[in-house]
Amino acid sequence: MKVLVAVKHVVDYNIKPRVKPDGSDVDIAGVKMGINPFDEIAVEEAIRLKERGVATEVVAVTIGKANSQDTLRHALAMGVDKAVLIQTDVEVQPLAVAKLLKSLVEREQPQLIILGKQAIDDDLGQTGQMLAALINAGQGTFASVIDVKAGEIEVTREIDGGTDVVALKLPAVVTTDLRLNEPRFIKLPNLMMAKKKPIETINAADLGLDISPRLKQLKAADPEPRKPGIKVANVAELVEKLRLAEVL
Amino acid sequence: MNAPALPADVLEQLKTIVGEQRVKTDHDSLVTWGVDWTKHYEPRPSVIVFPASTEEVQAIVKLANTCQIPVIPSGGRTGLSAGAVAANGEIVISMDRMNKVLSFLHADRLVRVQAGVITEQLQQYAEQQGLYYPVDFAAAGSSQIGGNIGTNAGGIKVIHYGMTREWVLGLTVVTGKGDILHLNKGMIKNATGYALHQLFIGSEGTLGIVTEAEIKLTRQPQDLKVLVLSVPDFAAVMPILHAFQQRIDLTAFEFFNDTALQKIMAAGHAARPFETESPLYVLLEFEGRFEAVVDDAMSIFEHCMEQGWILDGVMSQSQSQAQALWHLREGISETIAPFTPYKNDISVLITHVPAFIADINAIVAANYPDFEVCWFGHIGDGNLHLNILKPANLSKDEFFEKCKVVNQHVFETVQKYNGSISAEHGVGMTKKDYLGYTRDAVEISYMRELKKVFDPQGIMNPGKVFDL
Ligand SMILES: Cc1cc2nc3c(=O)[nH]c(=O)nc-3n(C[C@H](O)[C@H](O)[C@H](O)COP(=O)(O)OP(=O)(O)OC[C@H]3O[C@@H](n4cnc5c(N)ncnc54)[C@H](O)[C@@H]3O)c2cc1C
Ligand SMILES: Cc1cc2nc3c(=O)[nH]c(=O)nc-3n(C[C@H](O)[C@H](O)[C@H](O)COP(=O)(O)OP(=O)(O)OC[C@H]3O[C@@H](n4cnc5c(N)ncnc54)[C@H](O)[C@@H]3O)c2cc1C
Repeated sequence: MKVLVAVKHVVDYNIKPRVKPDGSDVDIAGVKMGINPFDEIAVEEAIRLKERGVATEVVAVTIGKANSQDTLRHALAMGVDKAVLIQTDVEVQPLAVAKLLKSLVEREQPQLIILGKQAIDDDLGQTGQMLAALINAGQGTFASVIDVKAGEIEVTREIDGGTDVVALKLPAVVTTDLRLNEPRFIKLPNLMMAKKKPIETINAADLGLDISPRLKQLKAADPEPRKPGIKVANVAELVEKLRLAEVL
Repeated sequence: MNAPALPADVLEQLKTIVGEQRVKTDHDSLVTWGVDWTKHYEPRPSVIVFPASTEEVQAIVKLANTCQIPVIPSGGRTGLSAGAVAANGEIVISMDRMNKVLSFLHADRLVRVQAGVITEQLQQYAEQQGLYYPVDFAAAGSSQIGGNIGTNAGGIKVIHYGMTREWVLGLTVVTGKGDILHLNKGMIKNATGYALHQLFIGSEGTLGIVTEAEIKLTRQPQDLKVLVLSVPDFAAVMPILHAFQQRIDLTAFEFFNDTALQKIMAAGHAARPFETESPLYVLLEFEGRFEAVVDDAMSIFEHCMEQGWILDGVMSQSQSQAQALWHLREGISETIAPFTPYKNDISVLITHVPAFIADINAIVAANYPDFEVCWFGHIGDGNLHLNILKPANLSKDEFFEKCKVVNQHVFETVQKYNGSISAEHGVGMTKKDYLGYTRDAVEISYMRELKKVFDPQGIMNPGKVFDL
C-alpha cells in the first residue's frame, strides 16, 4: 500500500507571532519555520505503517515556496521514501492545495492519503475534506487511531464529547489529531542522509489548474489583551464579585 | 518539635518592625520555612519573619545583634547543602515578600531586583525586554536571586555564560553587623579597591543578607539546537566535547547515565529518545542560527561516530523537541528525589575529568557493588553530580552511615586532583566537615577572619560553611 502524506512549511509553533504594523497580516520575515505539527504526526503515522509492513512506500508532498524544501527534508529524515515539492510563490488556499494534491494523487495512485487536520498558520482545517471530495474518496478526519484492515481502514475520530469510529474503503483520506502518535526525534545520520536525497520539483503553473486565491484576508489583529485580575480578601467578597459578574 | 521559644519582647519587637501579619511562629510555618531541599536535619527555627524592605532587614539584624540571636537568610529553599536550614532556634528571615523588579536601564541592559525575585521571574522579565538571563537549572521556578547569589548558582548554561557571579554587577546588603552597603552599583568598570560584592556571592548568608541586586542581561540565544548522543563509555565524553568545542560555541554540554534515564522513563516522565541503548548519554546545545553551524555540527558528529565515540544521536527540529530532550536531563533531580539519594556535587579541571571518573568509579564499584548510582551533571564544566540511590530495604540512617564512609574516599580523590567538594550547591552544613579537602587550613583561617569583619557577633547563619 502506497501512502501519500501532505506536509506544510509553517511558522514554528513556539514562536509568538507578531502582527505587521499595517495590520495586513502576520509578520513572518526572518521567523523560524518548520513542519506543521499535525503534518509531522501524519508523517510519523505513515512511517509506522511502513515499519509494521502495512505500507510499502511513503511519499511526502509539500506545496509552496522553494524554502518549503526544509520541511520535506524533515520528512525524509523521519523516513519517507520520496519527496515532491509543488512549487509556487502564489499564496495557496485550501481549495488550491486540494486541487494540486489531487493531480499528484492521480499520478501516484496512493491507497491512503494522510494530512494534518489543520495547519497552524491559518488554522483553516479544510484541505483534507476538500481533497476527499475532489477525488471522491471516503474521509476520516481528526484521527486518533488508524487501523488498517484488508481493503479498508478503521479510523477513530476525536469529536466533541468522545470518539467516533468510521470504516473507510480504500483509497481514503485521513486527517490527524494530536493524540494519534508522538513523532520521533530525528537521528543525525538520517538527517545527513536526507540532505543528500533528491527532491522532485513540479512547477505548479505547469499543472494547468486554477489555483488563484478565492478568499481575501481583510486584516490581522492581536487578540484582546487579558483583563487584569483582582484580589479578594475573603470568601464573602469572592461570592459577591462572582454574583456581580453573573457567574453565580 | 520543641523549638526554643523566643523571648516575648523580641517577638513583639519583630512584629513592630515588619507588622503583626509578617511574623510567624505556628508549627506549619516553622517546618516549612525552616528547611531547604535537603531532608537531613529537623527544622527548629523559633520564628519566621517576612521583611519588605532593606530597612526592615536592617532593623531585624540589629535586633538580633542586641539579643544575640542568630538569623538565617532564606530564599526559595531549593538549596542542596542545608545552607538555609534552621535547626537551632534561629530567626529565619524569608525574602519571599521582597519579590519586585525595581527598575531596568535599557542602555546598560541592567535590571535591579529585590533579592526575593524568583529566578524564573527574572528570566521572564528579561524575555519581555527582548533579552536573556542565562543562569538556569531545574529549580529556577522556585529558587530566588538572593539564594542564587548566596550559593553562586551555576546550572546548565555555565559552559557558555558562567556562574551567577558573572551576572551580578551590584548588590545592596545588610551586613551581619547591621550596616547597609551599596556595592559596585551596577558598574562594569570600577577600579576602586576590593570588589566587596563578589565576597557576598557564594557566601551562603554567612556575611550578611542580600536585599537587592543589579543584574546584567544579555541577548537572547536563537534557534537553539539540542543533540542527545549515546556514548559507549566515559572515555569518549571528553573527546566529543573537544571535537565540538574546536568549531562550535556550545551553550550546554551535559551528561547522564542509563540508570538516570531508566528512572525518568520508569516514572513516566519521558520516553527513550531513540532505541540505541548505551551506558551514557551526552546532551549538547548550540545556537543553530546559521546553516553552516548546523552543517559543522553534523560533520563533527560524523567524525565522532567514525571514531567510535558516539553510537547514535538525535537533533531537535523544533523548540518543543528541544524542550523534550532537555527534560531527559533536567527531570533527573526531581525524579530521583523519592529515592532519598546521597548527592555529591564535585568538580575538577576538565583535563582531569577522565582520570577522576575512573578513580571514582573504582571506589563506587568497590564500596557500593549493589547500590544504584545515578551519574549526571555539567560535565562540560568538569562538574559531576554523583547520586547514590537508597535501596528500599535500608533505613535512611543506615544508608547515610554507609555513604559517609565512601564520602571520605570520594573527597580524597577530589583533593588528589585539586578539585572542589562543592561545585555549585555550596557547603552549608552537609559539606562542612569536608571543606578542608578543597581549602587549606590557612585559607580557612582567612575566611574566618573575614567573617568577623562583617559579622563580629557571629549571628549570620552560624554553623554553615565552617565553624567559628
Ligand atoms: C531540582 C534541583 C536542581 C538544582 N539544580 C541546580 C543546578 O543545576 N545548579 C545549581 O547551582 N544549583 C542547583 N540546585 C540548588 C539550588 O537550586 C541552588 O543552590 C539555588 O541557588 C538556591 O536558591 P534558593 O533561593 O532556593 O536558596 P536557599 O536554599 O533558600 O538558600 C541557599 C543559601 O543562600 C542563602 N541565602 C538565601 N537568600 C539569601 C539572601 N537574600 N541573602 C543572603 N543569603 C541568602 C541561604 O542562607 C542559604 O545559605 C538545584 C536544586 C534543586 C532542588
Ligand atoms: C599608555 C598607557 C595606556 C594604558 N591603557 C590602559 C587601559 O586601556 N586600561 C587599563 O586598565 N589600564 C591602562 N593603563 C594603566 C596600566 O597599564 C595598567 O594599570 C596595568 O595593569 C598596570 O600594570 P603594571 O604591571 O605596569 O603595574 P604597576 O604599575 O607596576 O603596578 C600597578 C599596581 O599593581 C600592584 N602590583 C604590581 N605587581 C603586582 C603583583 N605581582 N602583585 C600584587 N600587586 C602588584 C602595584 O603595587 C600597583 O599598585 C595604561 C597605561 C599606559 C601608560
